[in-house]
Formats: sequence, C-alpha cells, structure tokens
Amino acid sequence: MKKLLALTILALVASIGTASAAYKVGLLSDLTGPTSSVGGPYADGIKAYVGWLNDNGGIDGEPVELIQVDYAYNVQQALAAYKRFTSSGIVAMQGWGTGDTEALVKFVAKDKIPVFSASYSAHLMDPAKAPYNFTAAPDYSTQGRAGLKYLRETWKEERAPKLAFVFPDNPYGSVPIPAMKEYAAELGFEIVGQENVDLKAIDATPQLLSLKKVGPDFVWTGGTTPSTAVIVKDAQKLGMTCTFLTNIWSSDENIFKLGGEAANGHYGLQGGVIYGQDVPGMALIRELSKDEPQMTHYVRGFVSAMVMCEGMKMAKAKGEVTGESIKNALETMRDFDPEGLAPAISYFADDHRPNLSVNITAFKDGKLEFVKTETLERKKEWLGH
Amino acid sequence: MSMQKCGLFYTTYAREDGLFPSKFQKICLALFFAVLLVCPQFLDSYVMSILNLILIAVIGAVSLNLLTGVCGQMSLGHGAFVGVGAYGAAVLSNMGVPFFLALLGGGAVAAMVGMIFGIPSLRLKGIYLAISTLAAQLILEYVFLHAGSVTGGANGLPVDAPEIMGYSFDTDSKIFYLILLVTVLCVLVVTNVIRTRPGRAFVAIRDYHQSAENVGVNLFAFKLQAFGLSSFLAGIAGGLWAHYTMYITPEQFSMGLSISYLAMIIIGGMGSVLGSIFGAIFITLLPEMLNLLTTSLGGIAPDLSAIIVPMKEGVFGLMLVLFLIFEPEGLARKWRLTKAYWKLYPFAY
Repeated sequence: MKKLLALTILALVASIGTASAAYKVGLLSDLTGPTSSVGGPYADGIKAYVGWLNDNGGIDGEPVELIQVDYAYNVQQALAAYKRFTSSGIVAMQGWGTGDTEALVKFVAKDKIPVFSASYSAHLMDPAKAPYNFTAAPDYSTQGRAGLKYLRETWKEERAPKLAFVFPDNPYGSVPIPAMKEYAAELGFEIVGQENVDLKAIDATPQLLSLKKVGPDFVWTGGTTPSTAVIVKDAQKLGMTCTFLTNIWSSDENIFKLGGEAANGHYGLQGGVIYGQDVPGMALIRELSKDEPQMTHYVRGFVSAMVMCEGMKMAKAKGEVTGESIKNALETMRDFDPEGLAPAISYFADDHRPNLSVNITAFKDGKLEFVKTETLERKKEWLGH
Repeated sequence: MSMQKCGLFYTTYAREDGLFPSKFQKICLALFFAVLLVCPQFLDSYVMSILNLILIAVIGAVSLNLLTGVCGQMSLGHGAFVGVGAYGAAVLSNMGVPFFLALLGGGAVAAMVGMIFGIPSLRLKGIYLAISTLAAQLILEYVFLHAGSVTGGANGLPVDAPEIMGYSFDTDSKIFYLILLVTVLCVLVVTNVIRTRPGRAFVAIRDYHQSAENVGVNLFAFKLQAFGLSSFLAGIAGGLWAHYTMYITPEQFSMGLSISYLAMIIIGGMGSVLGSIFGAIFITLLPEMLNLLTTSLGGIAPDLSAIIVPMKEGVFGLMLVLFLIFEPEGLARKWRLTKAYWKLYPFAY
C-alpha cells in the first residue's frame, strides 16, 4: 500500500513539471557526490551560458530550459535521472562522469538524444560505438599525446627524456596509458616506470620513492587535483626534480591551495582557457560572473553549453529541433570558434573528436598561466584509442 | 456484516506454515500484482525505470539478507558478486546464448566466485569475515578492470537488450515484466529456502555456531551453501542490470553498491525477506524523493535549495543513524506494528 502511495505521489509530481514550450535540455550534475568540487563549477558554467542565451534571443526566439538533476555520481541515480529527462521530453543532455556517461551510451543512441559529457574517454569519440555522444574537449589519449608532444618540443638535451606515469588504477586513470606509451615511444621518450596512486591517497611516498630510483625527467599524472597535490608535495619532500604534466582533471585553480609551493614549475593540460585570459569570450564570462574568478571547469561547462546551443541553432535553421536533427547538425559543424574560450571545434559523421588540441598551462608563482595551444594531426588510427 | 476472527486460528501445522495464511493477504497480494501488471500502461518511462531499479535492488537485497541476515555471515563484497553475474551474463549473451540461459550462467559464475570467497568463512567470523569479503570486493574490481579481453576493461562491455523468441524487451515497460517475473521467482526461492532444512541450519549458525554444530549442522557446508546461493541470486540481479542498462563498466560495481545493499537490509530489517524488499524500495526512492524535493523547492525558494542540495548526503546518513537508533529491526517491524494496529482498529487494547 505504502509503495502505491509513494508511486502515485511520484507520478503526480513528475507530471507537474512538464508543461512549457521551451527546448528542454537535461543537466546531469554531481553536486553532492565525490566529484562535486569540480561538478558544481562545471554545471554553473552551463547554467550561466544558457541563462545568457535565453536573455539574448534563445534558439531563434525559443528559450532553452535546463532541467538539472543531481545524481551524486551514482550510476543508478543517473539512469533514473535520464529517464526523468526523457519523460519530460528533452532534445539534448549535458552529462558528466565516466560511469554514468557509459551506462547511458546505448540508451541515448536508442532514444536519439545527443549528450555532451565531461567524460573524455576515447571510445566516446567513435560514432560507431557511441553515435550520440559528444564532448567539448578531446579525449584523454589525445590530450596526453599533445602534452607529450609539447614536452618533447621543449626538451633541449641530447639524451632521450625519461618519462614515467602515475595514475589511479581505475577506468578513468588507466584508459589513456597504452595510447600515451605508444606515442611517447614514437616521440623518442624513454619510458622508465609507472605507479598507481589512488584518488583518495594521502601519501604517495612509496610510489615516488621507487620512481626516484629510475630518475624520470617528466612524470605524467592522471587523477584529481587533491591527488596531484599529494604527489607534487611528496615529490618535493623527496627532493625529486622531475616536471609533472597533469591531465585535465588533475589540476585546476585549487592546486595551489592544496599543493602550495610544491605545485610551482609543473604543467597542466586544459580543454578551455583560464579565467581572465585575453580571449573575446572572456568579457562575457566576466560580466556573467560579476568579475568573480571562476575555475577552468566553469569555462569548460560554458563552452560545452555553447557548442550544444550552436548545434541547436544549426538544427533550427534547417527545420525542426529534435535530438536527431541536433546530432546531424553537429556533425556538419566545422571550426566553430567558442569565442576563443576553447580551441575551435568540428564534428564529423564518422569522428566525434571536437579537435585535437589541448591548452598547455604552466603553474607559475601560485597561478595558472596559459603557455600555448598544442595541436595534433587528426589521424584516423587514433580515433577511439 | 460477517464475523471476523480476531487473529488466526490453525488446525494443522501445514496451514500454519503457509506463506500467506489468510485470505485477506492473498487478496491484497493479488490486487498488488494486478496493479503492478497494469501500471506500465499508465506510467512514463521515468517511473518505470525507478520500478525496474527497485526490482533489481530487491533481488540484490534479498540475496544479501539470506547471507547476512539469515545466516549471519557479513559480506562487504555483494556489489562485486552482482558485478560477476553482470559480466558473466553479458559475455554469455554476447556469445549468442539465449537470455534466460545467460542469466542463469551469470548466476552460476557468481555462485562459484562467491563460494570461493566464502571459504574463509569457516575460520573467520564477524568483522574479520567482513574484511575478507572487502578483499573480495577489491580483488574482483581489479579483475573487472584488468581482464580486458573478457570484461572490456576500462572501456566497458556493451550488451544488447534481452530478446526472447524474436521479441525484444527494449523499453522500460517491456523489460519491466521480465524483471518482475525474475524478481518474484528469486523472492519465492529465498522465502522457501528459509523454511527448509538448510534455511533452519542457516538460522542456527547465525544464532550460535557452536550450538548449531552440536546439533549436527555442518558449519562449513552450510556456510558455503549460503554464500553460493546468495551470490547466485546476486549474479541474477547483475545479469538483469547488465541487460537493462545495456552497457557495463567496472565503476558500476564499486564498494558503494555493496554498502547500499547493506543499508537496504539494515533499514529493511535483518533476516526478513519482506524487510529487504522494503529496504530496497526505500534506498532506491530516497535520493529520487530528495531530488524532487530540492527541485520543487528550487522553484519556490532558490536560495533555500542551494542550502539543501549539499545536505542530501547528510540526510541519507542521518536516516541510517536514526533507523539504527529508533528502529533497529527495520521497516519490517514497522510494517508488523502498523498491521497489528489496524487489525484491531478502532478497539486497540
């Protein structure tokens, strides 16, 4: 009886929220789970852009209505949230993490709902495997390769640079490692070791001690900002002189709060620009955030919403806006410039890599500093790997 | 107006042992299932997906309850056993094995793995066993991630929606009937196992292992049976989950899943099948309810919802603590008390 009552209430409440003419877009966010510290700013970026767009004409006069659901990084809850979105008639979705994006790959393909996720797994870039998945930044492998290319370019000595990898032993951490090892060998790096440091680690000394013995010049780290902070601090403690190259989720503005002095001199890979960087789109972000500095995740969320809305506008120009028409429109997108907030974006029917560029960021004097945009050639054999 | 007996009066033991002793119960149950069978016609895919998630959680919770609640063997690795079943069923299904066989196969693999990790239970009890099953969780998670050729590793494993005799169960409403059928079967199996000799042996082991041994219960054999059966059913839940989501990755079967199954049986009531069902419903619905609450509050008072959203996890933890303090026997006892209250209403004495 109780069950029935609960379900009736559920059905009633669910049906109330569905009556307006706007284009509905699902926003799946982690606001309370383990990735909430970055999930919050990312979602804020998406909301900021959509809010601005609605105040400035929307999609050809029609507003975009975001339906935000917090799923606390739980796959079951993500699934339920997705169903809630589809029952309220969304045309596109802004997703978030690895687990939930992958659990939804087949659903979104069947329901024809394009999804922009912040999970940059390589296989999500391959339309043969994930036809309705899009991202606003290239996959982890591409980012890693571009980062390695940059390191190789800056290497001045005669001998081959020694490279080591530190990553958490989970899908997110281990996915790009084979691709990077292969490319590193191609570039002439000497791979000297690899270690696993957990995302929740509070000490990385044992792993770094064994790395210290092999004396790497560069260490690639995948993880989160807190885990990177632990790594750089312990490396400094052990007197290691290597330079760390951290991936897109392993460093942001908080690296100095958590890692302090030890973070200086290392590099990060970013999909978007840093707050305050001199690009055309920054004026808008400054205005919307009332000059309150935002994290780079905010910028990336902002760009993700921009690209999606551009796709919707393109679909609208051709006719009706549906999940399928947005996807088709996106696949004709060529060199869309998100006001300089991220490298230009193109999607193809057989290749959903937005670009093969990554922003190299240096950690200098307690601040993130843009160095250059490193771009790779769009090679077919790298798609999905 | 007909006369109603106050309480139940049995003339045979068999009658007393019946699962549903009163006619009223049977009618209620029949009505309940009739509503369940009809509801997919009226509900949207969101509510149906919640129902599906609840049903899968019910199998997981009931099977953990058999091991932990009935046999007293603590397990922190239940989520991983669900994962073994999911991968097993997915791999078989991708090889072209029919759905039900793949499901059973997944269950069988999970049962085997569960029994292997159950072996330490002969020597270990209580918190020590909990730690050894925690090791099972970690080892299995490692295997899911690194046995790439079988599990797809970090890239995950796609599965097709179940298809039986050419009919594809590819929507929430269609697959609901399939999941409901399997769930009812699993719940019936557990309910009946508890009433058999092995079931009584499980209870004896839980209550005091030495007494159980003294009256001739083979501890090792029955503990292994409990592990095997529990993991088998967990594997079935996993198989359903794999076919329902159609894409499985190691992240889905993490420690968090094991904990939430434990939370289900604690909130529902240890050792009670009905309790596990209530617990599964409660734990699955709680985040959805909190979400609905925060979204509807967000419409009325945006500032308030900004404060409440971060408190969601806290509310979840608070519920658990309050349950442990005020209703240690869980929702199952609350249900009994409610029934007893209404039975005599309005002449309670």
